[in-house]
Amino acid sequence: MTVDRLSVQGSVVDAAPSGKKGGAPRARPPRSRLIDWLAVGPFFLFALLFIFLPSLQIFIRSFQDREGHFTFDNIVTAATGVDFVNAYQASLSISLITAVGGAAFGFLLAYAVIMGGLPRALRTFMMTFSGVASNFAGVPLAFAFIATMGTAGLITRLFEAITGLNPQRDLGFSIYTIWGLSIVYMYFQFPLMVLVMAPALDGLRREWREACENLGGRTYHFWRYVALPILLPSLLGTTILLFGNAFGAYATAYAFSGSFINLVPIVIGAQIKGDVLYNPGLGNALALGMIVIMALCMTGYGLLQRRSARWLR
Amino acid sequence: MPNRRLTRRDFLKFSAAAGGSALLAACGGGAATCDPITSADTIALDTLTECATAEGQLTTIALPHDWANYGEIIETFKTRYSLTINELDPNAGSAEELEAIRANRDNPGPQAPDVIDIGIGRTVTAMEDGLVAAYKVATWDSIPMKDPDGYWWAEYYGALVFECNMDIVETLPVDWEDLLRPEYRGMVAMAGDVLQSNEAVQTVLGAGLSRTSGAFEGAAQAGLEFWAEMNAAGNFVPVIADVGKIAQGETPLTVEWDYLALANRDTLAGNPEIGIVVPQTGVITGPYAGGISAFAPHPYAARLWWEFVMSDEGQLLYLKGYAHPIRFNDMAARGVIPEELAAALPPAEAYANAIFLTVPQLQEANTYITENWRRVVFGE
Repeated sequence: MTVDRLSVQGSVVDAAPSGKKGGAPRARPPRSRLIDWLAVGPFFLFALLFIFLPSLQIFIRSFQDREGHFTFDNIVTAATGVDFVNAYQASLSISLITAVGGAAFGFLLAYAVIMGGLPRALRTFMMTFSGVASNFAGVPLAFAFIATMGTAGLITRLFEAITGLNPQRDLGFSIYTIWGLSIVYMYFQFPLMVLVMAPALDGLRREWREACENLGGRTYHFWRYVALPILLPSLLGTTILLFGNAFGAYATAYAFSGSFINLVPIVIGAQIKGDVLYNPGLGNALALGMIVIMALCMTGYGLLQRRSARWLR
Repeated sequence: MPNRRLTRRDFLKFSAAAGGSALLAACGGGAATCDPITSADTIALDTLTECATAEGQLTTIALPHDWANYGEIIETFKTRYSLTINELDPNAGSAEELEAIRANRDNPGPQAPDVIDIGIGRTVTAMEDGLVAAYKVATWDSIPMKDPDGYWWAEYYGALVFECNMDIVETLPVDWEDLLRPEYRGMVAMAGDVLQSNEAVQTVLGAGLSRTSGAFEGAAQAGLEFWAEMNAAGNFVPVIADVGKIAQGETPLTVEWDYLALANRDTLAGNPEIGIVVPQTGVITGPYAGGISAFAPHPYAARLWWEFVMSDEGQLLYLKGYAHPIRFNDMAARGVIPEELAAALPPAEAYANAIFLTVPQLQEANTYITENWRRVVFGE
C-alpha cells in the first residue's frame, strides 16, 4: 500500500522501489475491461462476504434484543457499563502504546538497516526475521512469552539463579498486566513496521540528499523538508495499521491472560461464548463501537494523509 | 413434522438394507412405535434400540474426550449400538450448546445437537426457552438431582480440589485460607476465566463458602473478597491453567475439578509429581446436567444415549474417568462399584462435607460474581 501511494504521487514516481534506476517506462497493454473486472471480482466478493455483510449484521443486531425486537439497551449498556468503558480504555491505550512504540522502534530499525552503513547480509536477515515475526501471533506467541518471562519462565529463572530473587514471587513484577501484554504485542508490531517502511526508505534517493547539501541544507533541513514529507504518509498509514493490528487482537491476549486483562475483544468473546455470560446483542454493540473507532481512525488518517500529500506537489 | 418424515424414510431404508426377513420381523414386532415422542415416559430398551438404529445417527456437542472419560463412553455406545456419532464442537460452553439448539430449531441437519451436557445453572434458561424435551430414563428414581418433570437430570459431579506441581509447591495447602500464605506467591491459578467458565465462577464461590462455613448467604461476596486478597498478595497468577502450564510451573497450584486433576496426574505420569488436595472446607461440587434437544433430529437415539449413560455401566464409565456418577450412592448401596474404581478417587471422607447448591442459588451467585468480579478483585 505504501509503495502504491508513493508511486501515484506524481513527482516521486521514480521513488517507488519497483521503478529501478533507468528502467523502461511501463507500457500498459490494452486489455478488455471484462477481464479486468474478473480479476478483481474475487476480491470484491471476499470483501462483501467477510467485511460488508458481517459489519451490516453487527450493526443490525446491535439494536436487537434476544427475541429480535428493536432496542437501544445494548448500545446504552456498552457505552455506560463500567467494565465496558474500562475495556475500551485499556484497548485504546494498549493499541496506542504499541502502535506508537512499534512505529518508532520499527522505523529506527528499518532506517539503521537500510540507510546505515551495516553489512548487506544483516539487511537480508532483518527482513526475513521481520517477515516471520510479524506473523507470529496467537497462542504460540503468548506461550513463548509465558515460557520465557512468566512466573516460571526461562529468563525469570535465569534472573533468579543470578540474583537469588524471583521477579514475580519476590519483587512483585508481573508480565500479566497491560504493560506486559504491550511487550508481547510489540513482538509482532515493530517487525511489521520494518517490513512496510523498508521499501519507503529505499525510495529515498541519495541524489536528493546531495541536492539538499549542495543547496546548503543540513541533516535537519533534509529531514524536515525532504525526507519526512515523503515518508509521512507511509509513517502515518503504518501507525494506523499497527493500531488496528493491536486493537483487534484477540487470540494472543486471550491465550496470554484469559479475560484477566480487560480488553474489548475479550469482553465481546465473553458475551458470545462460554458458560457464564451470554448476551450476543451486547457483544454486537461492543463490536459496533470497535468498528466506529476504526472508521474514525481511517478517516483521520485519510485527512492527515491528504494534508501531508500536499507538500509533495 | 420433520421427525416423522425422517423416521419413516430412514426406517424403510434400514429395512430394505437389512433384507426382507428383517422387514417382516420388524413389522411383526411393533415397528409402528417409532412415532414422534410426546410424553416423558420411559421407553422400553428394545423399542429405543430399534428406532435409534433406524435413525442411524446421534449428534452430540461439547463432549471433550479427555473430560470425565467421554472418549470411552462415546466409543462404547457407538460400538454397542452401531450408530454414527456426529460430534459437534467438543469445546463448546453451555451457552453455545443452547445456542446450537436455538439456531437449528428448524434444521434437522448435522448441525443440530440431539443431546446436551450443560452446567446445572443453565437448565433454567434451557427450560424457559423451551429448548429441552422431557424424558425419564429407566433409572430415574435413583437419580438424586433432577427436574421433577424430566427436562434435565444430573449425570455426574466433581468437587474443586487443589492440583499441585510438587516440584514447586513444597508444602501442600490443606484449606482455602492456606492459599493466601506468602509461600504460594505467584502460584495460585484458576482453570478458566471468571467471565467465561462455570468452573472459575465456582472457584470464587468455593472460597467464599469456606469463609461462611458452608452457608450460601454472603458466600459470593466473601469469595470475591478472598480472591481480591489473593490478587493483592501477589499469589494469583492471572493465566488460564492447563496441564501444560501446571507441568511447566507457570501455574503450579491450580484449583480444578477433581476428575480433571486426577486425569492430569495420569497424563503427566510422575513428571512432575502431582499432589491433589480436597480442601477441608468449602468443598463445592459442580454437577453437570443432561438433556435432550426439543428439536432433536434423532429423538430415539438421544433417549437411547441417556439410557446408556445413566445405566450402571455408563455411570461406572464416568467413575473410571474420576468423575463422581450422580447415582454413586445408589450403586454403592447395591455393591456394584468395583473396588479398584472407588479406590482411585480421594477417600470418601474427604467429600463428607461436599456442598450441593440449588439451581437458583447457583444462578444468583453466578450473576453476582460475574458482575462484581472486576470491580472487587481488580478494583476497576
